[in-house]
Amino acid sequence: MFELLERVAGEEPGRAAVVTHTVSRSYGELLADARRVAAALTREGVGRLAVVDHEAPFVVPLLAGAALAGVEVTQYPPVEPDEVRDLLARLGHDVLVTDRADLSGLGARVLATHELLATDPAPSGPLPVDRPHLVLTTGTTGAPRGVRHDWSRLVRGTSRVAPAPGQRWLLAYGLHQFAGLQVLLHVLAAGATLVAPAPRRPREGLAAMRELGVTHASATPTYWRFLVAEMRSDGGPVPALRQVTLGGEAVPGPLLDVVRSTFAGASVSQVYAASEFGSTGSMRDGRPGLSVDVLDRGDDADVDMRVVDGELWIRSRTGMLGYHGEPPVDADGWRATGDLVEVDGDRVLFRGRTSEIINVGGVKVHPLPIEERVAAVPGVDMARVHGRPNAMTGAIVALEVVPSRGVDLEALRSDLRSACADLPAAARPRSIRFVDTVDTTGSKIVRSHA
Amino acid sequence: MSTSPEDVRRTVVEFLTLIEKLPEGFADDTPLYADGAGLDSLETAELSATLEDVHGSDPYATGDMPQTLGDIQAFFAAGS
Repeated sequence: MFELLERVAGEEPGRAAVVTHTVSRSYGELLADARRVAAALTREGVGRLAVVDHEAPFVVPLLAGAALAGVEVTQYPPVEPDEVRDLLARLGHDVLVTDRADLSGLGARVLATHELLATDPAPSGPLPVDRPHLVLTTGTTGAPRGVRHDWSRLVRGTSRVAPAPGQRWLLAYGLHQFAGLQVLLHVLAAGATLVAPAPRRPREGLAAMRELGVTHASATPTYWRFLVAEMRSDGGPVPALRQVTLGGEAVPGPLLDVVRSTFAGASVSQVYAASEFGSTGSMRDGRPGLSVDVLDRGDDADVDMRVVDGELWIRSRTGMLGYHGEPPVDADGWRATGDLVEVDGDRVLFRGRTSEIINVGGVKVHPLPIEERVAAVPGVDMARVHGRPNAMTGAIVALEVVPSRGVDLEALRSDLRSACADLPAAARPRSIRFVDTVDTTGSKIVRSHA
Repeated sequence: MSTSPEDVRRTVVEFLTLIEKLPEGFADDTPLYADGAGLDSLETAELSATLEDVHGSDPYATGDMPQTLGDIQAFFAAGS
């Protein structure tokens, strides 16, 4: 990604690269910072490191500088010291880059971020052949895993991004998440501006949209649901977005309708990507799922997909090299995604994750179609379908609903039952709870446990 | 809600009414399954979840298979 930064800085060094409510950093400034980081890491003899700073104006040059120096970086999520200690042990990191005062004494050598950025810049030179990067999975189905990438493969996925210096993209993900990196790479490839509020909750995202001139935004369906609910609640103006992108989870059709009607002037697209297989491009037709055109593209395609026993498989030339601590995988080989799909006419529709299937008395139930149906009931702001342990059937389908403000809950309960009445008996929610919020991890709904 | 026989009865009657399986003359000794209320396994699972939600525990979760409302009331009366 250093090369993307360098290219734009060469064209227009003063162009804004990263903007927050308090600071604006240009491409030229970030490039200089990246060279400082590269010089410092080379001087310190660092080969691998973990980063626990989360403000984009610091993280972007850290990532770029490490790439320039051929140093593998892993950005940790914003967690407490005990969890940082666990991650250090699990990932074998002995160097920690941070300005946090509570992370000394964890057994790792600490390099202060501000000191790395105060070093004399490294001179220009060729990029190293190997530019490793390690991304953590969100851990929605267990402990986070380290996914090994190389920047050359990741940057390859941006080769078709057109220059768009006027775009201002919201950073709704953390840069420790693969989706956040995808947004960053897209912004740098387009020579656009990254708007990075902190923290990255929908409320702050909405404020950034209104106050910092965001024109484009990519986030999970869960994030968009919260953001729309937040906007309805505060009654403020609808941000003038030109592009709304959803990804990271299956996108329910009713939510697409809500987003389209709310942001009437925006193009709406979906992206399908994961830490393991990278980005597969976007769907811009506003319909749920993927076009069947993504299937069986042939060996020449950078990304190809096929359906095997109801599960989507992918071959990607921008995907991972393997998991940390495990043997390398065939980087260009086929991999199961864990996403259950169904080919319906000209679409590949998502039905849930293999890990989310609810076994109701031996009947396999996919939560997503139920969630979609429930989310379309008036008075429902958000819904989560999950398996609830039950002595009679092993599990039952349980439904958690965040109701709209002022809704008659008993009437809503009746409407929910009616909406699900024609589902197969095992798929009908047998437990309905009204809640203030639903469980999320990394802005994704957690369905895999009760 | 308490686990008094009256409250437990109210929960079970409301549940049977909701799923439209409340038999005429439903009494404490009316069978919950087959020729009584006719609950199937999924409806029984739902009753189990409802009892847990409303009263904090339920006999099915402990391995019991109550046959009547009276059995359910007895479970709660025993202090389970």
